[in-house]
Amino acid sequence: MTIASAPARRRAGKRGGLDRPAATGHRRSGFRPAGYAWILPALVLSVGLIYYSIGYTGYISTLSWNGTSPDPTQVGLHNFTQLFSDHVFWLAAQHTIISFVATFVIQTVLGVVLAVMLHSRPWAGVLYKIVLFVPVVLAPAITAPVFRQIFAANGPLNALLQHVGLGAIAVPWLAQPGTSLMAIIAISIWQWTGMTFILYYAAMGQIDPEVLEAAELDGAGNVRKLVSIVWPSLRGTTIALLTLSAIGSLKTFDIPWLVTVGGPDYSTEFFGTMIYRQSIILSQVGYGAAISVMVILLALVMGVAINVRPWRSRAAAGAS
Amino acid sequence: MVRSLCIRNALRLATVVAAGTLTATALAACGSSTPAQVGSATSGNITWWGWTPQTNVGQQYIAAFNKQYPNIKVTYKQVATASYDAAIKPALASSVGPDVFDMAPGGGIGSVQLYSGSAVDLAPVVKAKVGPNWKSDIAPIGLKGLTVNGKVDALSVGSTYAGSIWINPGLFSKAGVTPPKTLDQWISDCKTFASKGITCFEQGAGDNGFNQDMLHAIADSIHPGLWSEAVAGKAKWTNPDLVKAMTVFKSMFSDGIFQKGALGVQQYPDVNNDFLAGKTAMVMMGTWYMQYSTADGAAAAVSAAGVSGAKPFPMVAIPFPSITSANNPAPLFGDADYGVAVNVKSKQQKAAETFVTWLGTNAKAQQVVADSLNDISSLKSVAPDWSSIKVVDQSTQEAALKTLIASTSNVSEARLGDVGTALGQAIGDALQAVGTGQQTPSAAMAQLQSSSGQ
Repeated sequence: MTIASAPARRRAGKRGGLDRPAATGHRRSGFRPAGYAWILPALVLSVGLIYYSIGYTGYISTLSWNGTSPDPTQVGLHNFTQLFSDHVFWLAAQHTIISFVATFVIQTVLGVVLAVMLHSRPWAGVLYKIVLFVPVVLAPAITAPVFRQIFAANGPLNALLQHVGLGAIAVPWLAQPGTSLMAIIAISIWQWTGMTFILYYAAMGQIDPEVLEAAELDGAGNVRKLVSIVWPSLRGTTIALLTLSAIGSLKTFDIPWLVTVGGPDYSTEFFGTMIYRQSIILSQVGYGAAISVMVILLALVMGVAINVRPWRSRAAAGAS
Repeated sequence: MVRSLCIRNALRLATVVAAGTLTATALAACGSSTPAQVGSATSGNITWWGWTPQTNVGQQYIAAFNKQYPNIKVTYKQVATASYDAAIKPALASSVGPDVFDMAPGGGIGSVQLYSGSAVDLAPVVKAKVGPNWKSDIAPIGLKGLTVNGKVDALSVGSTYAGSIWINPGLFSKAGVTPPKTLDQWISDCKTFASKGITCFEQGAGDNGFNQDMLHAIADSIHPGLWSEAVAGKAKWTNPDLVKAMTVFKSMFSDGIFQKGALGVQQYPDVNNDFLAGKTAMVMMGTWYMQYSTADGAAAAVSAAGVSGAKPFPMVAIPFPSITSANNPAPLFGDADYGVAVNVKSKQQKAAETFVTWLGTNAKAQQVVADSLNDISSLKSVAPDWSSIKVVDQSTQEAALKTLIASTSNVSEARLGDVGTALGQAIGDALQAVGTGQQTPSAAMAQLQSSSGQ
């Protein structure tokens, strides 16, 4: 927000509004000197800390270094060539893609459905909102051991499945490569659906009720209103969540590390766990930095791909 | 107007970039080290970080130290095992890290190979304080693992040995079985436990370190000494006896010894908590578990683990069951459990050296170490004072503990000290691949041989 100078205010008063063009006919510049004073501290911190760290990571990725030795060895792009031939890297990429698609789709469906239900103003709706959002604020360090117990071979989940006659699918979820990733994805969905719900709930609140009433008068049912009016209006929110999910999947670490340590046999390995394992446990800091650089590049590519103009045009159309 | 606007915008941009560059430069300067300040040898405030001992045991050591050096205040911070390397690495790189920190042999947690450069050479320090023959009373296995290229990076506080099985005798009585002496009896006992709804044996198979201990013990039972030869590169990992050991490890998942879902379980905290809570009849832990033989130690561990309603029970260690009919003696293997090192950047280096030397070489200090039962004393001349140790059940546990400690005096095989980081990871990968069924034992050992670079 900018504060207009006194001459600008006088000019505005004569012409009846700040939004009218200046007498010269040129568009007024959007930059105000006072704006930089407000954002400079955060900008300095951002440039100084974040981008310096990114640059330094890029430098470390060209080293063979254990993180403590005073004499790292310069190896150029060797870490990157090693990365592309590392089957664990490709496993992590595969798990990231699967996790991204599964969590985004399921969280979107659940978020929209829950938001629609709560927009119908049920009894104790506030309580439902709180319950849905609580997992978002719980620390993974607390939830991870709990979920390790829940998904244990003799844990409560399997006890419930056996109780309802589904004992055939009561497996040791975290001990098998085929089911461990599913368990991690389930935990992520449990944790973040509340965030999706809140954002969709807020976005739905912006839809003009008269549009929905008009559709109802024209004979549209709930499903038709949801598909033809509500969903298109949520496109902007969906794109934002798509971007967040993509970046979130790339930096997944806490849940897979705390629950399964990336195992068994790398079946829940993600880029984040791989970076941690290489940098901290194996003290291959240069190699870990190379993986980090790849993650940054992938995040940039995904961010650009998701936010390209065609998507934005449709989002603008949907919002209008 | 337009030109002046462009100049103003350019100036603003230049200001931002300059500010950012200055900040970046300042941040880079923050990382530079400051010269160590030595301080006094008899007074000062020092900090000690370690993944072990437990906080209450650490406080015992400090209290005993302060009887002799009341003016050196030691603050001990126990860092979770899984977080230790992530915490200590940046701390040692900074100028505000701990004065004293734990190190361990081998390439695992607190690796002496990794942190050697951050530690003061303690050989001249100890020689000056204790005398030229200081090494003669130190157990060699403790000294060897913490010495790199002739530099004594840390002083062993005590040694630990793995290869034993700890049991809950109460559960054995309840099931009506006796502790297993052979693999066949182990399988049979587990069937009986299962029929009674009791967990027979728990393995945190999601934890490669303890899987390695299991494989090592099996290998030693089949062919004593072969494991160490393979680690040293003098034998191949594809040796038939090592492949057999891996095959036995794999069979433990299917023949009822390992609990269902073992690969999704961690030794700490899951298996540890279940055993201390009295839910499991057997676990494979080492001599560090002796500390839970005492009433205080067990109660503290159960409380720290957050297990409610559990009561200490008289746990005892038994030899590892014989895997073959050759009935080879049950193997133990071990190293220094951990050593304490002095940070080269410590501003209280003299006080830190006093504490470290005291803890590693002083008989009174080592008596405290021995009596806490966390480690086997690093001094040959020190043994636990059983008159001052209160175990849960003196009649059953004291004799078993004495037998266990006596059996460590002949151990020469290292547990972790000769296994580097990369080899440890390769062994872990092989164990996980076999445990999940992704590879056969022979294929896994072939890949291990290939990865070992030997």
